[in-house]
Amino acid sequence: MALRFAREGAAGLSLVARHGDQLNAVREELRKLAPKIDSVIIEADVSKPRDIERIVATTLAQFKGHLDVLVNNASTIGPSPMPNLLDYPVEDFRQVLDTNLIGPFLLIKNALPAMTERGGSIINVTSDAGQIGYPGWGAYGISKFGLEGMSQTWASELEESGVRVNWVDPGSMNTAMHRAAEPEEDPSEWANPAGVTDVFVFLASDESKGVTGKRFQAQEDWKATLSK
Amino acid sequence: MAAPFTFTLPPELSAKEPPERRGIRRDQVRLLVIERATGKIEHTRFDKIDNYLRQNDLLVFNSSRTLPASMRGCDCSAAHGPCMEVRLAEHLPDDSWLALLLCEQGDPFGCGLRAGMQIEFAEGLNAAVLARDLNIPRLWRLRFSITGTELVDLIYRLGKPIRYEYVSAPWDLDYYQTVYAKEPGSAEMPSAGRAFTWKLLFDLKRRGIDSAYIVLHTGLSSYMDDELDRAHPASEEEYFVSRITAQKVNSTRENGGRIIAVGTTVVRALESVADLDGCVGEKQGYTRLKINGQHRLKVVNGLLTGLHEPEAGHLDLLSAFLPAEQIHAAYEEAVARRYLWHEFGDLNLIL
Repeated sequence: MALRFAREGAAGLSLVARHGDQLNAVREELRKLAPKIDSVIIEADVSKPRDIERIVATTLAQFKGHLDVLVNNASTIGPSPMPNLLDYPVEDFRQVLDTNLIGPFLLIKNALPAMTERGGSIINVTSDAGQIGYPGWGAYGISKFGLEGMSQTWASELEESGVRVNWVDPGSMNTAMHRAAEPEEDPSEWANPAGVTDVFVFLASDESKGVTGKRFQAQEDWKATLSK
Repeated sequence: MAAPFTFTLPPELSAKEPPERRGIRRDQVRLLVIERATGKIEHTRFDKIDNYLRQNDLLVFNSSRTLPASMRGCDCSAAHGPCMEVRLAEHLPDDSWLALLLCEQGDPFGCGLRAGMQIEFAEGLNAAVLARDLNIPRLWRLRFSITGTELVDLIYRLGKPIRYEYVSAPWDLDYYQTVYAKEPGSAEMPSAGRAFTWKLLFDLKRRGIDSAYIVLHTGLSSYMDDELDRAHPASEEEYFVSRITAQKVNSTRENGGRIIAVGTTVVRALESVADLDGCVGEKQGYTRLKINGQHRLKVVNGLLTGLHEPEAGHLDLLSAFLPAEQIHAAYEEAVARRYLWHEFGDLNLIL
């Protein structure tokens, strides 16, 4: 997604992940693709409130207080293989909610001041497990149910602010997290993350001004959502 | 700079914890309102501030974000060098910093603080102590081994908010932020706006009371030196007034609205950029402007501010809005009615 945003002409990108080596690799690719892009990489864990304060402060220091788009795509699946709810250790359950629900809440809360003056776009990444209670998808699914509800609330509370809030279900994707969650499945049938970025580009761009409070499915006819 | 009057502040009137930890919301602190035209004083609660505002008024906020500006480091230029608290005060244009160094053991200034010292922090961060500041001699100029956003990242990893002795617990940094804080850089919270909630800001906007933002990174309110604090030497501060804010200020004035500064830093920034007619332009710069009873306010009509300490230079700034005797009378009432002082305390609206 970062590479696609760079290709589409993003002036600056702040990349956040727990592991610095992955961030450095993406930044190297970014530099080749868009040498003039202003980028910052931040090694942080969104399940930790103190890290969130640091993510936002460092980003806003880099971009002089400006921020146009926030994508909440950090997520954890929890223990793998995934236990049923009855067997779910409470500490793991909490950790999943901290990363997938509390993290996006705090990121939005902290980043919002940089968006209210000029408008902005918040995009939360959800899953069909946030609409259907699949057995075994316990804490992850519950966190995504929560994320979708929270997105609706943010969207309505921010209706007059110029900040739009939408959420995207990217569908089954060939990511390390998904492969670990369903090791018996064939990942070649899943989409590549780079192939589902159109809707993110749309929501990040001025073309989506006025679009808020909507759920998009990246691998389906997402443009149909606009007329609903 | 001497304060225009003095009074006794009983120690129990220092707010020891954030309002949210005293059982009220952040917008439920008390509000002392002084009418500039008549000197009339009213006592109310902050969440009723809209009763005193009018359509077309503009609230101007300082959106600087509070740094966790207190860091622990040890002198590594000598064997068993002393450890100290480093309170960051100001980021200078040459990328060095002004900081207050407080020794951990004994006399806070008595552990051999000197130019040439190397301070070692955690996570591989170091700072060279370059020289004493000429203007405020308790401050030292430091140069960190890392700069830019990497340094910001490290400050947020290592630091904690500056805490004064009247504050009851080491509250998280979140308690030291206004809800609208953006760019990091303030040593201490620009606290006049702490009581605002997003709900209140949206409600005010709906009523035609708009908001605009400047950035002025605040320095330290105390150098832990009574004599120096009483003298309150004015520091040079960097400010930024954006084009959007300048336009909002100018159009508000044209439409007969009032410019209400949320905090003394906003008064300083706006008065620094206003021309003789009160017209404001987009500008980034440094100001040493002293505002006192002799200063004719060119652009700011009203001020929301905290309650200031007896010796604070901010009291002098208030006398640009009101005669000193009226402020004195209001402060006497505030003490008698048990208002709370400092960053987590009550507020004062002068209109």
